[in-house]
Amino acid sequence: MLDLLRGLGVRFLNWLEALGRASFLWVNAMAGLPRWTDVGLVIKQIYNVGFLSLVIIVLSAFSIGAVIALQFYTQLARFGAQDAVGLGLALVVLRELGPVVTALLFAGRAGSALTAEIGLMKTTEQLSSMEMMGVDPLRRIVAPRIWAGIISVPTLTLIFNMVAVFGGFIVAVEWLGADPGGFWSGMQDVVELWEDLGKGMLKSVAFAVLVTWVAVFQGYDSPPTAEGMSMATTRTVVISSVLILASDFLLTLVLYGDF
Amino acid sequence: MSDSLIEIEGMTFHRGERAIFDDVTLSIPRGKITAIMGPSGTGKTTLLRIIGGQLKPDSGQVRVDGRDVASMSRGELFAFRRNIGMLFQNAALFTDLSVFENVAFPLRVHTDLSEELIRDLVLIKLNAVGLRGARDLQPSELSGGMARRVALARAIALDPALIMYDEPFTGQDPIALGVLVRLIRDLNKALKTTSLLVSHDIHETVGIAQQIYIIADGKVIGSGSPEELRSSKSNRVTQFMYGEPDGPVPFHYPADDIEFDVISSQDSG
Repeated sequence: MLDLLRGLGVRFLNWLEALGRASFLWVNAMAGLPRWTDVGLVIKQIYNVGFLSLVIIVLSAFSIGAVIALQFYTQLARFGAQDAVGLGLALVVLRELGPVVTALLFAGRAGSALTAEIGLMKTTEQLSSMEMMGVDPLRRIVAPRIWAGIISVPTLTLIFNMVAVFGGFIVAVEWLGADPGGFWSGMQDVVELWEDLGKGMLKSVAFAVLVTWVAVFQGYDSPPTAEGMSMATTRTVVISSVLILASDFLLTLVLYGDF
Repeated sequence: MSDSLIEIEGMTFHRGERAIFDDVTLSIPRGKITAIMGPSGTGKTTLLRIIGGQLKPDSGQVRVDGRDVASMSRGELFAFRRNIGMLFQNAALFTDLSVFENVAFPLRVHTDLSEELIRDLVLIKLNAVGLRGARDLQPSELSGGMARRVALARAIALDPALIMYDEPFTGQDPIALGVLVRLIRDLNKALKTTSLLVSHDIHETVGIAQQIYIIADGKVIGSGSPEELRSSKSNRVTQFMYGEPDGPVPFHYPADDIEFDVISSQDSG
């Protein structure tokens, strides 16, 4: 019993310590204004983490939009309310699925790659040698990647939203024969700029911060061994996925909760 | 200006419970090649990291050019390191940059030189290590010896006052070895820098070092010129200098008596 308690205590302390190191990393990487010379580095990283994630985002968005439209259509058709497919789809995607699924896919596609890249740089002493050259790797390597994530994830979410709605349109209107006028006008009437799109994007920014932070920290903190690296990439995906889903609930409560 | 660039006094450093350095005192003279030698795992690399301020000693003082490294702020440290070139054991070239860009890196981040000037400087540095023709290669296309030479060109890009070499001879073929030995000696002369070299390769190190410290079990067990160490009276120093398999440093890792160990395991099996 005592051993169990002691074990729990040790785990908690380790966790606190890791949280401290993660905060240190964040503060030292992001403190101070970004310099203009870093813009090139950020753009390069946006290409790496953002642009290269486009294919998986577009494919998933299209499938998800199509599936939701199909489900909505079959249910709503029983009441003759097929026209509501458009607005239902838009609300679900803009408020929840767009930000959440994009962030989850981003964690799997780009987050794990970030962890592996930074971990390997550490293993091969590239980070150390940079430090010894008088260049802070937190500013040079970590910060541009965090910025790139914060810019890429919301952008990808926007693209996800558009493609998902388009996928739903193809299924509901082009294939199943819902009325295109009803599809679009229903959406136009109900969807609001801030309430639906804006709050969804706000979530997306929060997820971006979480995922990139976890990813760069796991890479930076990983033991420089093969096992250490593989554990770190796994942890990136697991921890960021859990964080995305848990924080999504909290954010939804805060943003939409009415009490 | 004192004669020594680096002064370490009573420095102690622990990793976990284990004392890596226990009250180490040594000084590295300016403009010469000094070698720190010792068996693997004695924390030679750790010593370089302490001098460069990447690790802080538990106690004692480490002064470089009269300044206490441990008391520098993060910003001061980064400024201080511009004056240090370090050659890492596995070269540590930036894998996403070409050979040219690797050498240009310190110049680009630390100076406002024009692109033409940077180009000229990079080519001069690459020429010094004999790799001017390899400027467009990627690090993955280089052999181990070439990668180390590129890393050396990068380390001297800003003409540092101190160059630290971490095991420069490990894992090199004889030709690459000869090239590196010559480069270290020539660079020390041409740039008038202080060279600090950490190694356990006796033959090469004795060939170029003007002063040697031997470290074992966290302490300095011998120091002096190569000749002085060769004729040392200390058993531990001569065991290391002549590479004898058994001596004060035992061949066997501490264990129970072999008869007891082997027979008792047969009994239980």
